[in-house]
This record gives sequence, structure tokens and C-alpha cells, in this order.
Amino acid sequence: MALDDRKRRFEVLALPHLDAAFNLARWLAGNTTDAEDVVQDAYLRAYRYFSSFQGGDFRVWLLGIVRNCFIDWVRENRSGRMLFQAEPNAAEVETVWTATPPDPEALLLETLDSQTLERMMAHLPLEYREILLLREVEDLSYKEIATITTTPIGTVMSRLSRARLALRKLWLGAETKEASHVL
Amino acid sequence: MSCERMRPLLVRLADGALPQPRRYFVARHAAHCSQCAARLDELCAIRTMLRTKLPTHRAPPGLASRIVAALPRETPPAPSRPWFRIPAFGIASSGMFGALAGIALTLVLLHDGGRDDPTLRNLIGGHVRSLMAEHLMDVATSDRHTVKPWLSARLDVSPPVRDLADVGFPLLGGRLEYVDGHKGAAVVYRRAQHIINLFAWADAGPNTGFREQAQQGFNVVSWRAGGIAYHAVSDVNSDELAAFARLVGGT
Ligand SMILES: [Zn+2]
Repeated sequence: MALDDRKRRFEVLALPHLDAAFNLARWLAGNTTDAEDVVQDAYLRAYRYFSSFQGGDFRVWLLGIVRNCFIDWVRENRSGRMLFQAEPNAAEVETVWTATPPDPEALLLETLDSQTLERMMAHLPLEYREILLLREVEDLSYKEIATITTTPIGTVMSRLSRARLALRKLWLGAETKEASHVL
Repeated sequence: MSCERMRPLLVRLADGALPQPRRYFVARHAAHCSQCAARLDELCAIRTMLRTKLPTHRAPPGLASRIVAALPRETPPAPSRPWFRIPAFGIASSGMFGALAGIALTLVLLHDGGRDDPTLRNLIGGHVRSLMAEHLMDVATSDRHTVKPWLSARLDVSPPVRDLADVGFPLLGGRLEYVDGHKGAAVVYRRAQHIINLFAWADAGPNTGFREQAQQGFNVVSWRAGGIAYHAVSDVNSDELAAFARLVGGT
């Protein structure tokens, strides 16, 4: 009976985060069917390791598991495909910041519609997509993102910067070419 | 400080992750440096754009039940023994004493008072669970203008959230809830020292009157209106809960 209680406690803690788990998996995997597989696997795995949950934010713990399941899923299903792309080096990024000084063009960001933004996001490297989601959609702190992605907090900050910059570049590029349909 | 060295600090400022006193110095620099000010504006614009415009994907219907069904069953089914009269020891061992242990003991003493209505049992189970699991609220605020949009952004239904503080039912917040196989909202109110969970989920049936039930020492008032099924569950007395239901459900 204690075990049955454990199962219910798990459901109570885990099911409210199903949308968050699915959204992350969907953005990572790129389609609903695969995202469902990943999430289902993640929940089973979370349940198996439920006793290792030491308190704290259950959503952070769960999203970390979703991420691991996604990585395993890619390894099993798309062997050979590069998972996380190499990051551009910091110097290159800084050059871009300097090369395009902020100007009123930036305000065009406000006119971006959801569909274009979604397409742009889909074009970003996986780890950029992931970190933007965790920060802006899940509203997680640097520290929580570091926990989920098992990355040092300094890397989280620089990666987040680069991700935003990459998004900005995509947008400004699309604007100047008047080619948002190209994306 | 040079603009070069400002850059990572501007990012942290935009993320609300720069503690004082550095926040003050960086903000002061940006106030007097047009380049840093523009960069900060742009970072904020990117953040706002993602937060307001990025589409999110909701879990497909049925995924929750598939997951629950797939969880390994570790004990033989015991349908005639409601789980919630069991956890007195679980509560005590997880360190929650006092009022909650009292509730559990009450449950043990009052169990099997009437016929076995699974929906009623699940509703009361959901209510007790919300107190037990220390997960009463996903969004804890007495501001209905915060609670309602928070819920409707995450659900197919948008149950009314009312400010009833002046009539003795202050709003405490809301959370997402799975009860009786439905994904819905639980809007949480308080009556003196008692918690009232108002469960609400989509139900296309016709509008109904208020139906009062009692079991296991809890009162439940149920009704359906505007395509939403409502169940108010609490250990307040039945008259007060009925009054609450009419305040919330009255259109
Ligand atoms: Zn400056």
C-alpha cells in the first residue's frame, strides 16, 4: 500500500508538468510522435528513479530527465547524426556584436509574427533552441538550466547570449533580404 | 567600466540575474551610454518576443492516461479500499504532522460511510492530495487577473475566477489538476481555516443545478454550466459550501 501511495505521489508531482515536458520534447524532437515517445519514456524513467528525487523543484528534475531521454532516443534512432553542434567561438560572436551596432533595426523584432519566429527557432542549433526554451518559456534561472543541461553556469550564460544573437542574426538577415518566406 | 566589460553584465541585467550593487552600476552606465542602452533594449526585446510569441505545444489528449497506465503497478489492485484512508503513516513519516495527520486520521475513522462513488472518491482524493503533497497552488496569488489567464493559457477551459474575499472566501490561487481522468483547473479558496478546492474541467453536457453530496467527512457540491463541470470540495460545513457554490457558479 505504501507503494501505491508512492505511485499517486508521483502522479501528483509529475502530471502537472506534462505540458512543459511535452513542449520541451516537441521542440527538441521536431514532431509530435517522437516527442510523445520521449515524454513517455521520460515519465517511466522518472518513476523508476523517483526515490532519488531529493526535493526541490520537481519540474527541473523532470525536464533534465526529458532531455536525457531525448539524447538517448536520438542515439538509438538516428545513429551517426550529430546531436549538438559545435558552438561558434566567443571571439566570433563578439565580432558580430561589434560589427552590427544596435540601431533602430532592432525594433523590428517587435513586428515578428509567431509563425516566422517558430521557423527561425527551428533553424537554430539544437542547443540554442533548448536554452532559449528553458529560459524564456519555462522561465528557469541560469542555475536551473545548468542543472538540467549538466553544464557549468558560465557556459549557460554565454550560450544563452549566443543563442539570442543567432536568433537576432536570422531575423535581421531575413529582414534585409525581404525573405522571411525563405526561412 | 568599459563597454566591452559591460556586455555579459548587460545580459545578466536583462535576465534579472544581476544582484546589487552591480545592478545599480550597470544600469547607471546604460543610462548614460547610448550603445549599451541600445544593446540592453535589444536583449529585452528578444526576450519579450520569445516570451509572448513563441508557440508552445501542449501534450496531446490521452498522453497523460497512457503514461499513468504504463507506470508499473506495484501492488495488487484494491478497488474496494480507497487509498486515502491509508496514508496516515505515510504522512507521519514524510514529516507532515498536525492538521494534515488529523485529516488522515479522520479519513481512517470515517471510511466507507456510504456507497462507493468513484467520482466522489476521486474528487475527495484530489482534495486531500492537494493538502498532502504540499502542492496546493501552481500560481499562488489572490489576484484573479493573474490566476485566470494563467489557467486559460494552459487549459481548454477558462473557468471563472472570482474575488470573494469580501464575502469571506478569499482566493488563494490555482493549479492544474488531474482528477477522475480529467485534466482541469483547481481554483483554491479559503474559508476561515478550511481550504476549498474548486475543480473545473470541460464537460459539454447541459447546465445543471447544484448537487450536494457528503462522504468521508467532506462535502462536495457539483454543477455544470457553460460547458464546464464544477466540483467544490472542502471540509467546511455543507451550508457554507453550498453558499460558496452559488457565489462562484451564479452567472
Ligand atoms: Zn557602454
